[in-house]
Amino acid sequence: MNIEPTELEKAIVLKVVGRMDAENADEFQKACDRWIAQGSRHLIADLDGLQYVSSMGLRAFLAVAQKLQSLSGGLILCGLHGLPRQVFEMTRLLSLFQVYDDVPKALATL
Amino acid sequence: MEAPFERLVLPARVDSLEAFRGFVRTGAESAGVAAQALDWLDLVLEEILVNIARYAYEPGTGNAEVRYAVPEPGRLFVEISDEGHVFNPLATDPPALGGTLSERPIGGLGVFLVKNLVGSLSYRREQDRNTLSFTFPGPDMA
Repeated sequence: MNIEPTELEKAIVLKVVGRMDAENADEFQKACDRWIAQGSRHLIADLDGLQYVSSMGLRAFLAVAQKLQSLSGGLILCGLHGLPRQVFEMTRLLSLFQVYDDVPKALATL
Repeated sequence: MEAPFERLVLPARVDSLEAFRGFVRTGAESAGVAAQALDWLDLVLEEILVNIARYAYEPGTGNAEVRYAVPEPGRLFVEISDEGHVFNPLATDPPALGGTLSERPIGGLGVFLVKNLVGSLSYRREQDRNTLSFTFPGPDMA
């Protein structure tokens, strides 16, 4: 898994590429925590390149989203498709997140 | 099951996951399991083996065994065993799937996912071993 951050005026976009599993899900959480510690309140996860996510990845997304919500911010998910999208649907998490097709659509809501 | 088993024993650690996955994936491919199902098979193995790695021998260490047979073309029969504490993951309460984002508990989704993806899932404790067995793909998978 590779995480590539881009700092925009309204949000930090974290482009996640590859497989998020038990061995690396905490890397995503730590990356988000660093931006939150620096004052970011709106994070956008660009998941177009995410091929796989297990329950450990779901935990990371949920933990970050809950933390940002408690800080009056939010985690937006973009580009979810394939297995990751089905995993979010199966666990009924999809409706709890802000989900958009792509980053420009997400940015337009901020 | 008449078909012979292939088996692999490795330390029950998260870093053994890749080898277990590769081992079963090879079997799945030669059994003719649909290519688009292979990532779901990875997910099933990860959810079960991570639980074993984290909790089965806590605070000690031990091994996990994965074995599979091919009962029919396109399908695997898989058994995953450990010699750790008595634990039936199928007896745990189902996770709460309702509520708002802030109410949603963070854990408990792994076994739930497994139940949705495999068939004939069962647990047994015999000769001081926990064994989960299942067929893959399950009846709910396309």
